Amino acid sequence: MSKVFLGIDVGSVSTNVIALDHNYELLFNYYARTSGQPIESIKTGLEKFHSQYPDLIVAGVGTTGSGRQLAGVMVGADVVKNEITAHAVATTHFHPEVRTIFEIGGQDSKIILLKDGIVVDFAMNTVCAAGTGSFLDHQAERMKIPIEKFGEMALKSKNEVRIAGRCTVFAESDMIAKQQYGFTKEDIINGLCQALVRNYINNVGRGKKLEPPFAFQGGVAANVGIRAAFEKEIKHKVIIPKYFGVMGAIGAAILAREKIEKSQEKTTFRGFGALQTEFVPKSFTCNGCSNSCEVIRVTAGGKTIAVWGDRCGTWKEKMKQSLSEAI
Amino acid sequence: MKIGIPRALLYFYYGPFWESFFKRLGLNVVISDSTNKAIINRGIKVAVPEICVPIKILAGHYLTLAQQNVDYIFVPRMVSIRKRQFFCPKFMGLPDMVKHSLNFKEKILTCDVVSDNSNISNYRNYLPLAEKLGKTKKDIKIAAQEAEKDWLQFRKFTQLGYPAPKAYELMVKGLNPVKINPKPGQIRIGLLGYVYNMYDPYISLGIFDILQENNVHVTTFDMFSENELRNVTGNMSKVLFWTFSNYLLEAGLHLFNSDQVDGIIHLTAFGCGPDSFLGKLFELESEKKGIPFMTVRVDEHTGENHLVTRVEAFTDMLKRSKAV
Ligand code: SF4
Ligand code: SF4
Repeated sequence: MSKVFLGIDVGSVSTNVIALDHNYELLFNYYARTSGQPIESIKTGLEKFHSQYPDLIVAGVGTTGSGRQLAGVMVGADVVKNEITAHAVATTHFHPEVRTIFEIGGQDSKIILLKDGIVVDFAMNTVCAAGTGSFLDHQAERMKIPIEKFGEMALKSKNEVRIAGRCTVFAESDMIAKQQYGFTKEDIINGLCQALVRNYINNVGRGKKLEPPFAFQGGVAANVGIRAAFEKEIKHKVIIPKYFGVMGAIGAAILAREKIEKSQEKTTFRGFGALQTEFVPKSFTCNGCSNSCEVIRVTAGGKTIAVWGDRCGTWKEKMKQSLSEAI
Repeated sequence: MKIGIPRALLYFYYGPFWESFFKRLGLNVVISDSTNKAIINRGIKVAVPEICVPIKILAGHYLTLAQQNVDYIFVPRMVSIRKRQFFCPKFMGLPDMVKHSLNFKEKILTCDVVSDNSNISNYRNYLPLAEKLGKTKKDIKIAAQEAEKDWLQFRKFTQLGYPAPKAYELMVKGLNPVKINPKPGQIRIGLLGYVYNMYDPYISLGIFDILQENNVHVTTFDMFSENELRNVTGNMSKVLFWTFSNYLLEAGLHLFNSDQVDGIIHLTAFGCGPDSFLGKLFELESEKKGIPFMTVRVDEHTGENHLVTRVEAFTDMLKRSKAV
């Protein structure tokens, strides 16, 4: 029976559950909007996997993304890693020579700089929509063009239009103006793609030395128009990794595999049966001192099983004590 | 009589001396709490926006102490601890800055600190305090001599590889610890930063703990003796003007050239002038030596700066590249 490694990437907007086979090929891929319900999305993803491949053995699980701790507790992950490491690991696995990773997702984007395969810097943008996929979604909707067609249409553009894309609001009014000047839809869309890339490089990459080879990943990398805009802006070819849309989850799975292979231990995965347990996350503001930490506590069956967010560790300590008393 | 000392800036290097000195004079010493949000906010409010983060934080500590019912707050003017080298101008102008922008003028206790090496226990530095404290010249001399012993002990422990707060604890408890050496298979990282950035758990988000939890052996500039450092730039034609920046430069060059570390992190604070030179020099050295190097810049909102993620990502990748 073959073994697989699972990777789970829980972001604020979307959740990915993937399975990698022993050749690092993507066997299974589940994507869902997190919509404030990460626990549900993870459950659904894992159940789908299990019903599709009931015979495969899960040899290890890794979690990443902003909800990685919660996901890690829930599934009994072998590895819980931040998304920078996860992305960098995945990209360098397939393309070890890469020095700059552009990652643009639906709601956030990042740049990761590597040197000899080591992360030396990164920047993230979680605030400004003008450098993320949602900017395009929004415009596609406004122009009544399916977003899937956006990329191809951009490539058909014959005239250069510069859309002021500093922020979504400006871009919109500028677009309307340009449409009235008589530019074609294709030209406008192409202009939008270029505006997004400019924004992204200016905001996220500000002050950073971007060195080739470049990789471009994240959901937006599906868009050929954006790819072209990137190559134009940085005047260099960009590599699109094969599984560009799920690199975070793949990185988590690779890390889990490495850990298991190195330690020769059995996975801590709780199994598919354990998904029935109720996990309840709650957050509260601690007023133990003037740091006013936002503490998150997860309970299962009335017991606190995970805590994070406390700067001083008081709450983690309390949890450990009560857990050890319970034994 | 109560003397306030801020738990900021050079507290993490000279604090053990000053605290011991005032205590041995029979005075009460109040040390402000570890930096927290309230302290930082107080500092941000009064400090000019362009000034570096450590000084903003320091201002917050001063204001906190001023509300704590102390008779004096110690604001030394750090001038020089090495021939022809000086402290960063922010240190040298400190008493003036405090006098003009914080309103506890009457509580300022100050003196100039000058020495030809990092040991600043020469009692003559502290004679100007005698009158205010109601002490004799002899009292000052004896207290300084005793405090020197504590400080030397503390420094000995940092040189055994203990981070300053730990070394202080060991000194107070009168323990005799062993040297910390990297364990087999451990990643070794050089952490280059000023004491007030590295050891302030709020500003650095406990970078030491993070590294230790990740099973990293950490080396910092204050784990070297002054002579070890001095030897590094001894034959360099140009050095920096500012003492602590020079310590960092020396420690950095030493680490880049002695096969003691797998990677180097430069921890720097927003708004620091000297560090813009220093960072560049490290970068060039890293290129030359092929040792991975990362800059981590902290500001007054460190939490939002992904410091933990940065450090984790760097060490994760170092570990992986060492494993293969
Ligand atoms: S968790 Fe700790 S550091 Fe945070 S507010 Fe409570 S007591 Fe303070
Ligand atoms: S060396 Fe830099 S951080 Fe330190 S006081 Fe001077 S400007 Fe501020």
